[in-house]
Amino acid sequence: MFYNSRTKTLSLVTILVILLVSYSAVMAQDVANGSATATVQAALVVTAPSALAFGTVYQGVPTSIANNLAAAGRFLITGQGISGVSCYMQLPDYLSTSTGDDRMVVSFSSTDASVDSTGNVDPTSFGTGWQNTDPHNIPAATAVGGGGTTNIFLGGGVIPSVDQAAGAYTADIILTVAYNGT
Amino acid sequence: MKKIDHNPCRHNWPFKGILLSALIVIFSLSDVMAGVLVSPTVIFLSNRSRTGRMTVQNPTDTKQEVTVRFSFGLPESDSLGNIRVNLNDSISTDPNSALGWLKAFPRKMNVEPNATQIIRFVASPPKEIPDGEYWARVIVRARAAETEIPSATDENAITTRLNMVMQTAIMLKFRQGELVSQIEVTDLQATPTPENVEVMVDISSKGTASYIGMLHCRLLDANNNEISKTATQLAVYHDIRRRLNLPLKGNDFKKPFQIELYITNKGRNDIAAEDMISGNEVTLTQTVD
Repeated sequence: MFYNSRTKTLSLVTILVILLVSYSAVMAQDVANGSATATVQAALVVTAPSALAFGTVYQGVPTSIANNLAAAGRFLITGQGISGVSCYMQLPDYLSTSTGDDRMVVSFSSTDASVDSTGNVDPTSFGTGWQNTDPHNIPAATAVGGGGTTNIFLGGGVIPSVDQAAGAYTADIILTVAYNGT
Repeated sequence: MKKIDHNPCRHNWPFKGILLSALIVIFSLSDVMAGVLVSPTVIFLSNRSRTGRMTVQNPTDTKQEVTVRFSFGLPESDSLGNIRVNLNDSISTDPNSALGWLKAFPRKMNVEPNATQIIRFVASPPKEIPDGEYWARVIVRARAAETEIPSATDENAITTRLNMVMQTAIMLKFRQGELVSQIEVTDLQATPTPENVEVMVDISSKGTASYIGMLHCRLLDANNNEISKTATQLAVYHDIRRRLNLPLKGNDFKKPFQIELYITNKGRNDIAAEDMISGNEVTLTQTVD
């Protein structure tokens, strides 16, 4: 009997505490709703979900990757939809070893880039935009797509010489993006 | 009886638009390996508030090496109305350049995955600087802090790696004194092609600050029926030429056609209202020959 009474008391207290906490939370929520001001600032994001990947290459065997292959590089521009952007790509002339004692020619043709403003992330299935355009001269009319994203797919080629030294070769590809409506 | 709307958020479309964009940003970056998020997209300083801040966020799962520097570049147009921002790292000859008296802290940092770094700016303009708006670009450069040099599978193999480096060029504006934002359309041409009407509009800034707004254009038939329309963001610093293409859709429209041009600085939800300088509105019509 004593046990039951104690259990009932504890249960009552627990329920009261839960009700009180819930009420406080509701009150807090009401206050928050009544006075909330939110400022979500516009953002610009430039990222590279995938690098242009030539993988392992061989002496004297040129290797190229088209911009519509899975191994193509991809830059992703995310921002406010239908905003004009200026894009510039700085492309290397060669890759070099970490010690800089050897170089390998890398080339980008005037059709090695595609600009897709549909939000499509797959280089093998182009949406809408500029296909096979010059990466040295990204079209001036490029804009963030209506969905808030634009992708630039990049291809290119490396030309190892017949006596190219074995090792790891690296270089930088730089994409600069600026809104042209601000 | 007038209907009262008790939901103040219902008509807050710009806020919803920005919120939607933010959500798209967050979800679209789930697979990113390199790069940063930069916000806001325009930084405003003034003689009353010479300091400002910018947020750099690393949405990736790799540490990012971020550097910040200043450059100069305004939206400029060519004779065909193409817009480009040409960045100039050396001291600009533009009298409204703020290069040389801006500082950023910190200028080089590593941002951990999913971490945020605040960059602060301080302007130290020359004394007796004339009233006006002064400009620079903040260049935020990001690259993976730790890049794996590919290891050769055997001693005769050649392996390659191309590092993707991202640069975001954000406009910074320093405002001195009371400013006026005003534009004038100096020329408007409409040329029909088999599929479009190509509109070329020349705009000059006549104020003491840049004009930020929207350029709306409609193609109308002789009975004022709308054939097509377009709208684009507009930034006028000095003189600019913009080209718009209005598609000719359908054959049952009565000639002569005319274009209706409307320029306003309303409708820019990417810039906070308190940072906008209210400017003039321009409405023009032109018959398509």
